[in-house]
Amino acid sequence: MSEFDAIVVGGGPAGSSAAMRLASAGHNVLLVEKADPPGSKNVSGGVLWGNDLEAVIPDWQKTAPVERYVKAKGVGFLTKESNIGLEFRSGLFDKNRAGHMVLRAKLDQWLVKKAKDMGAMVATGVTVDRVAFDKGKAIGVEQDGDIITSDCVILAEGANPRVAIDSGLREPLNDKDVAIGVKEVIKLSEKTVNERFNLRDKEGFAGEYVLGFLPDQVEAGGFLYTNKDTISAGVVISMKHLRENDRTYSFDIIEQFLEHPAIAPLVDGGSVEEYSAHMVQEGGIERVPKLYGNGYMIAGDAAGFSFSNGLVLQGMNYAIASGIAAADTFIEAKKGSGVSEESLAGYRKRLLDSYVLKDLYNFRGIDEVTWGRLPHRAMPNALEHIMKGLFIEQGVPKKHLYQLMTEALGESGIRTSEAVLEGYRMLRRM
Amino acid sequence: MALHLVVLIKVVPDGKEVFVDPVTFTLNRSMATNIINPADENALEAALQIKDKMDAKITVMTMAPPFAEPFLMECMSRGADEAVLISDRAVAGSDTYPTSLTVAAAIRKMGDVDIVFAGEKTSDSSTGHVGPGVAEFIGAELASYSRKVTYEDGYVIAERELENGVEEVRIPTPAVVTILTDSNDPRRATLRKKIDAMKKGIITWSLADINIPADWVGLRSSPTVVKKMLPFPRKDRKAEKIEKDKIPELIDNLVKAGVIKLEAE
Ligand SMILES: Cc1cc2nc3c(=O)[nH]c(=O)nc-3n(C[C@H](O)[C@H](O)[C@H](O)COP(=O)(O)OP(=O)(O)OC[C@H]3O[C@@H](n4cnc5c(N)ncnc54)[C@H](O)[C@@H]3O)c2cc1C
Repeated sequence: MSEFDAIVVGGGPAGSSAAMRLASAGHNVLLVEKADPPGSKNVSGGVLWGNDLEAVIPDWQKTAPVERYVKAKGVGFLTKESNIGLEFRSGLFDKNRAGHMVLRAKLDQWLVKKAKDMGAMVATGVTVDRVAFDKGKAIGVEQDGDIITSDCVILAEGANPRVAIDSGLREPLNDKDVAIGVKEVIKLSEKTVNERFNLRDKEGFAGEYVLGFLPDQVEAGGFLYTNKDTISAGVVISMKHLRENDRTYSFDIIEQFLEHPAIAPLVDGGSVEEYSAHMVQEGGIERVPKLYGNGYMIAGDAAGFSFSNGLVLQGMNYAIASGIAAADTFIEAKKGSGVSEESLAGYRKRLLDSYVLKDLYNFRGIDEVTWGRLPHRAMPNALEHIMKGLFIEQGVPKKHLYQLMTEALGESGIRTSEAVLEGYRMLRRM
Repeated sequence: MALHLVVLIKVVPDGKEVFVDPVTFTLNRSMATNIINPADENALEAALQIKDKMDAKITVMTMAPPFAEPFLMECMSRGADEAVLISDRAVAGSDTYPTSLTVAAAIRKMGDVDIVFAGEKTSDSSTGHVGPGVAEFIGAELASYSRKVTYEDGYVIAERELENGVEEVRIPTPAVVTILTDSNDPRRATLRKKIDAMKKGIITWSLADINIPADWVGLRSSPTVVKKMLPFPRKDRKAEKIEKDKIPELIDNLVKAGVIKLEAE
């Protein structure tokens, strides 16, 4: 007999959701989280998209520690002097709250507490070393030489999946598959946040930016999300580029972003409350490992379930959805023939039926177009050229838009044929 | 028979986050998170090191409000076998005198205690009273300022660090030892022990459980009066930034100033 029905490794959104689901179905579950308090090591720019939490906490929109909801979504291309942006600010968001700004330190702690309240045993401040196997079946987890046994292990350890790698359940990560995210939480006041971003009450703004002004070949995206009285601001930098340009440091890039003339006034006068750096999985479907085996399943970032297309960065929603799917698979297996490789195969099926794997398949190869010279250099430059032609009076005859656009391509810094090809691929993939 | 070791701990505000209010001269702890008093962690480790070598049972104990529970759990997660929380409204405001008295009563109630470990002092008040006070009240020998403790056939051998050297004492049990901060490297919690701790839970005793009348404790039975607190004047440190190629010169200067000594390999 195992000590636990299930052991969940990691108390992020994926692990907590799995533990909540299992505990409320009456299973004896152990949730292990290395941070104490939970969430203190987790970084997230902070928009929780979707409503996946409803399945485990029906009233979460009212009770969870959420900061604001997305009322306006912005996308901006930054050049040295300009921000060419698009904003979707809509009443549609009021009826259908698509996204909520959260601070992970608060949210994760709350979720773990919920799991505990629902009956899970929670051990914080300990790091699991490995999955323990006996004759090819996962029989529990190993920590400091001890084995804690369970019928099933759910790995939800996040973007740096050491346990899965050290247990031989997935390949080590390549530079190409990860980006590095750096985030600051900047303290202002509720009133200042409302005024600067044109918001009321619980309304929030979520902006994503292409940092087209960076030196060398460095490619990075920036984000700016409003919390109640703070702003989450950060950058996501491709790891490959960080390594290739060993003079560029992540903290340097976040500074350049925050000092940009279009961004600086928004964060002016704020004090940095929190600073953190974390890995972001970017490998896409090609890098999703084998998701289950005899006695184990992998969920959330540890399984590579995240999505970024340069306009949004999502992972928490996939984490929650996959954590719940893993729990449901286990619950069903226990009711039926018991835990085996075959009975856990249902996990993959559930994910294929949901948006988790559908999105990953539909957007395969997206990293090739979101990281590249077209979005990161050519588009910002070309857009700036067009805007300049349209709006900055220079005392010369006006040009037609078409003329400006052809010129802009010339200004973009990449060859026209390359731009057209890349642009086509980009539209297809996005 | 197994040795019975008792470790006394106190939950204190993290010293790095406490400061003296420059206006009211009181301690401002509002920003501080709680931790186990650092020397007490070393005391627990000293007890665990004895348990590593022989059959022993470790009881951790603290007199505190229930907020101390997670810290007792942490001690069990590192290897203590049981945890006792002495919690009673009446003890609020107690200074080191009624605290020692109460803790001693609890130890007497256990009956079979061989060695009591305590931190040499707490980081929040630094009196160093409780260990010696308990020794007095239970009538045990005391080895204070200890940095290493071993047990041998009814005797405790303690290395005491004094101002001008190290003294080794050998005292019979029951004994109390107070352990210096940083005298060892406290081990980390393990998952196995954490699970066991959660299953066991914490034993809570009230004053009635240890036969201490409520009017022996609390503010009114505490002789200490804090008259005033003063901020410690901050010394400006001399800081200088050194370029790579100046390092040999820096080493020369430090040797000349007698700060470091170079030894031939
Ligand atoms: C800068 C940045 C911005 C982001 N912005 C967004 C956003 O706006 N919206 C969004 O949806 N997503 C965003 N993401 C992605 C999102 O953070 C992740 O997809 C999400 O956190 C994944 O959840 P998870 O539960 O799988 O993993 P995590 O949240 O990483 O949780 C894993 C947990 O496991 C613990 N753990 C790890 N190893 C062990 C071990 N061996 N033993 C015990 N515990 C262990 C960790 O401490 C951690 O708490 C962002 C990420 C970054 C880095």
